[in-house]
Amino acid sequence: MQSRFYLSLLLISSLVLLTFVAIATYSALTPEWKQYQTEYKDFLIKNAKDEATRERAEKIDIGIQQIYLTSMKKADRCTSCHRGVENPLMANAEQPHRQHSGNYLENHPVAKFGCTICHRGQGQAMNLREAHGEEHTHWDFPIMPIKYIQSSCALCHDFEMLKHEGGGHVAKGEEFFRGKGCRGCHKLNGVGGDLGKALDGIGSRARAYFPMKHVVGDRTIYNWVKQHFDDPRQIVPESEMRAFLTGEESDLLTTYVLTFTSEQMPRNYMLIKNIVMPRTDGESLYKMYCIACHSDGKASIYDEILKRTIPAIMNPSFLKAIDDNYLKKILKEGRQGTQMTAWKVDAAGLTEQEIDRIIEYIAKDRPAAKTEPFDVAKFKADVKRGEELFNIRCALCHGKKGEGDLGLNLKNPVVQAADPAFLAVTVRDGRAGTPMPPFGKDGVGLIEQDIADIVSYVKTLSQKKL
Amino acid sequence: MSNGNRNEEGVSRRDFLGLAAFGAAILASLGALAGSLRFVKSNVYSEESKKFKIGKIENFPIGTTRSIDGKSVFIFSDDNGLFAISAVCTHLGCIVYPTEAGFQCPCHGSKYNQDGKVIGGPAPRPLEWFEISQEVDGTLFVDAGKAVPNGTKYIFA
Repeated sequence: MQSRFYLSLLLISSLVLLTFVAIATYSALTPEWKQYQTEYKDFLIKNAKDEATRERAEKIDIGIQQIYLTSMKKADRCTSCHRGVENPLMANAEQPHRQHSGNYLENHPVAKFGCTICHRGQGQAMNLREAHGEEHTHWDFPIMPIKYIQSSCALCHDFEMLKHEGGGHVAKGEEFFRGKGCRGCHKLNGVGGDLGKALDGIGSRARAYFPMKHVVGDRTIYNWVKQHFDDPRQIVPESEMRAFLTGEESDLLTTYVLTFTSEQMPRNYMLIKNIVMPRTDGESLYKMYCIACHSDGKASIYDEILKRTIPAIMNPSFLKAIDDNYLKKILKEGRQGTQMTAWKVDAAGLTEQEIDRIIEYIAKDRPAAKTEPFDVAKFKADVKRGEELFNIRCALCHGKKGEGDLGLNLKNPVVQAADPAFLAVTVRDGRAGTPMPPFGKDGVGLIEQDIADIVSYVKTLSQKKL
Repeated sequence: MSNGNRNEEGVSRRDFLGLAAFGAAILASLGALAGSLRFVKSNVYSEESKKFKIGKIENFPIGTTRSIDGKSVFIFSDDNGLFAISAVCTHLGCIVYPTEAGFQCPCHGSKYNQDGKVIGGPAPRPLEWFEISQEVDGTLFVDAGKAVPNGTKYIFA
């Protein structure tokens, strides 16, 4: 009886193995690419316009196609399904058989460039799902959506050339990037603020680096970057990023940001036609590093995201009250307790010269007339009287304890550390272009003693609890 | 199976079970073995293809001699058709240059006639000839990985 048991066991296990062998044989003999190549061949035979073409079509060998790029150790087998990619007879065929669009392949022959340098995806894969590397294939760089494809052009070409020769989107994205003040918060090549993450290599980072939880659709880095530009707080709820872009602008910026890859292309692939020196005039620098928060610098606005009033640094009455040396100190050291970064060379990385140019640009509208100085030391300030005056005159906008409302938060370290004379001048002359009116003889009519009292009280606000 | 448990009905039940079991086992093992033998030879190799595009037939009117940049191959077109001859000297691999009489190697003076046959110098073998093929759309390709007998010329439409 025992031998019968073992014989049955052998029979069953052998049959199971046979079934697996049969399945494996079947799937090895009918891969996806073989079906596509048969379609390709049949299409060409059917649509041959002369006998010679038909004969050549009939001679097509069906087999795995591969482009191997020695200098990059890349093997792209995409042409196993996309066999018609260089064939003008396939110009109007359906995918995967269609010829490559445009004239890109004239200068980028498939045999030298393969496919994945530009399109990404998993070149070695032999079926659509894995080759395109979309959701659930665990491939970090799935196929690049066509609307961002120009980011690949910038791997080898300069933006000046791209602007004129078919890379308009990515070139425009680069221009946007320079003009939107992105580097006010993000470091790139070691220069930039530190409120946001550094952007180096972001285009070739692994998927796991990005918090994908709130991304709608496929969880790819392309969708992450795009949707994060559209609405940063939708993707990263605690984000303080100030991005207010139209859909088109965020597409362009996404395209540009994806050019920040950590790989370097081999030299024989690079084609740099123009060496463009980065612009270092004050205005360009202001746009690159400051504009995201300070916008045009003309009006101070309470910012809902940063939870503070952003000072109007190009406002003439502000400039009138503050001299270049003080501005420079602020730029170099930043403002502790606020989002203002220290821009000196060993922090955010701007050189002394660049800081000077920015200041020159900011201060270009400084009124010629000097502010009448306010000698605070001359007055014996009375804090108690200051408090009474403060409650009548200032609390409405600045809050009962100076915590800020319509007006600035006066408890913040910037105000607390400021020179009393500077504060006194501001109270006396007001801040044109902001809701702060002049309280001196030209306005509300307080005498200098009153102002000195108020300033002395303001200086004590940091010790007050809310 | 050896105890010969036969009766009039032919194979006994146990014999049938044994036969089927061993038969299936052998079949399955052979199948699995055959399947794994498929992996001995690779479908594709990690190396650059030696096949390259040379353009349309219109670019090669009769009488053309062309060397292809970076590929060390000469393409000729005469009355008998198109042919591709390697420019790599069979002696030590220098790149030969065309002369009146055929080819000359700059390194050790090997000489070849117009068909690549050795007519002087240390070269041991004639220059290789390569296969030329035509894609469906008419584009011509030379495959420097596929040698063909010397004298093979191709006529294309």
